[in-house]
Amino acid sequence: MTDTVHILIDRADGALQRLIGLVERRGFHIDAMTMAPEGSALAVALTVRGRDVGRSIDNLGLQIDRLVGARRISNDATFRSEAA
Amino acid sequence: MSAAAATFKPAVETAPQSGARLVVSTLEKLGVEVLFGYPGGAIMPIYDALAGSSLRHYLCRHEQGAAFAADSYARVSGKVGVCMATSGPGATNLVTGIANAMLDSIPMVCITGNVAQGVMGMDAFQEVDILGVTLPIVKHSYLVRSAADIPAVIEEAFHIARSGRPGPVLIDLPKDVQFEMTDAPRGIHLSNAIDVADAAVIDDAAAAIRAAKKPVLYIGGGVKISGAVQAVRDFAAMTGIPQVSTLNALGTIPTGQDNFLGMLGMHGTRCANEAVQESDLLIVIGARFDDRATGKLIEFAPHAGVVHFDIDPSEIGKLRKVAVGVTGDVKPNIEALNARLSSGPAIEVSEWADKWRAKAIACAFDYNAPGEGVFAPQLLNELSQKAGPSFIAACDVGQHQMWVAQYCEFSRPQAHITSGGLGSMGFGLPAGIGAKLAEPDACVVTITGDGGVMMNIQELATVNRFKIPLKIIILDNSRLGMVRQWQEFFFERNFSEVDLSDNPDFVKVAEAFGIPAFRVDARDQVSAGIDRLLATEGPILMHVIIDPNDNVWPLVPPGKNNAEMLEGAR
Repeated sequence: MTDTVHILIDRADGALQRLIGLVERRGFHIDAMTMAPEGSALAVALTVRGRDVGRSIDNLGLQIDRLVGARRISNDATFRSEAA
Repeated sequence: MSAAAATFKPAVETAPQSGARLVVSTLEKLGVEVLFGYPGGAIMPIYDALAGSSLRHYLCRHEQGAAFAADSYARVSGKVGVCMATSGPGATNLVTGIANAMLDSIPMVCITGNVAQGVMGMDAFQEVDILGVTLPIVKHSYLVRSAADIPAVIEEAFHIARSGRPGPVLIDLPKDVQFEMTDAPRGIHLSNAIDVADAAVIDDAAAAIRAAKKPVLYIGGGVKISGAVQAVRDFAAMTGIPQVSTLNALGTIPTGQDNFLGMLGMHGTRCANEAVQESDLLIVIGARFDDRATGKLIEFAPHAGVVHFDIDPSEIGKLRKVAVGVTGDVKPNIEALNARLSSGPAIEVSEWADKWRAKAIACAFDYNAPGEGVFAPQLLNELSQKAGPSFIAACDVGQHQMWVAQYCEFSRPQAHITSGGLGSMGFGLPAGIGAKLAEPDACVVTITGDGGVMMNIQELATVNRFKIPLKIIILDNSRLGMVRQWQEFFFERNFSEVDLSDNPDFVKVAEAFGIPAFRVDARDQVSAGIDRLLATEGPILMHVIIDPNDNVWPLVPPGKNNAEMLEGAR
């Protein structure tokens, strides 16, 4: 089962690497990824799949939320227009 | 640790100054007094700017030593530890120290020089993408591209390092940025709001605690970090609920206090582990269900609901479902809980607590052993008793680390400095340096093994150069003791690559570094040795020979639950 997580993250050195690395380290495969610039930030949509049943998408959201520069995290794409 | 008020003011100098000078002046403005480091080509402008500053720089003899010393300084002082290194090998030598701080949530700012931006990505001399290397082990990191950004970046780095759940922050400074002149440094203003849980959540936690018949309080290192030690002690005293502690939280409840059952987990006490296994409610404060504490997770406290207090929302429910998750700064939340529980009927768990108090007495550690050789547990207990209330044990990693946790007596959490999450051999000696500089009047003793001390033995030169009055004990079994113990029990006594019997003469090594040293190799020399160690004004090293076959007991075998403890005779 896959989930799609939408993240608005500050564009900074290592920001994308930080985000993707965290998702993979926390036990999720990334099946698809799209991104687009949004002002000084990047809007990223990641379609992810837990490596095993012990991986919670809610906990992944909380882990991403800890990233400095992650402005919004949602499973709903509509926040992008709000942020813009 | 609560986020301290940000006091930074934007630089007011109008004359242009270099990025390197801005680094130094910003650290000064943030109140930094002590930093640890090692210079090199890509950070020379900052070292040049250090001359004449108010910062006290301690030149360690390896960048890993500098990082560990900064980490320990932070643990004892409650301030942000600061360390610096040059690019490439200097920066990569910081990596273990950064990971160590990350795993134990220690506030640290690491400043690295890097090659100039124009040659970044060209495999220049001593170039490493240290920002990329450290991404998984920092709370945050910066690559600074303009000198004008330096004050804002450093201030923000300090804020991030110490606020919320603390951790290490890396600032990578290309050499051209250090040289760049600017007259327009940016300052920023940061909010220091403290997260506190909703009243309704505290009510839920209080209700769960009132309903429990067999509750156990499970205390983690987050209690010290948030400054909640007194609040947790008040909770324990008011409710009488039995308490257990993680390795990193030892000292939060003073050793020997009623209802304190000791450390839980792999080398915890039998009664701590059994109480947790039988409990119907775990009140977890500032702990993260580390596997060394829980044993086989699925069988950990199988009948217990969980009320979990933590500042990091991602820790709530990460490894164990909770009945009530209380997110936010632990200190105000526990104070609010205490206020709830102090009104209304008293918590009645005396029968449950009496049972475990009696069991704790019955299962108390034995400080005696047959034979004439030195028995490390007895030595450590006597050391902590003689050292007095200012005692700080800066531990290395291995069997001695567990003996310190089991047998030393601690009256405050700052008294026990250990590499808990990462388990870094080599931590002890630089950790002793950092602890002594953070609390000069304390009786700081580094306790290390013959394996661990060899990993950062060069820091004896740092001790000698700055005449740091650190006491050092090497418990020498001429083995990698913990690995040997596991090989004995779990690898059919195949003692592969654990023999260190060709160790150097540590007394001569210490003396070669200018530090007086003596040897203890019989039990009847221990008392006098401790007396001599503690009475010496300057640094001194006591080299103690122990039995290579001594083991750490109890032991929960890997993959087992905490009720399945092995115990053995010496």
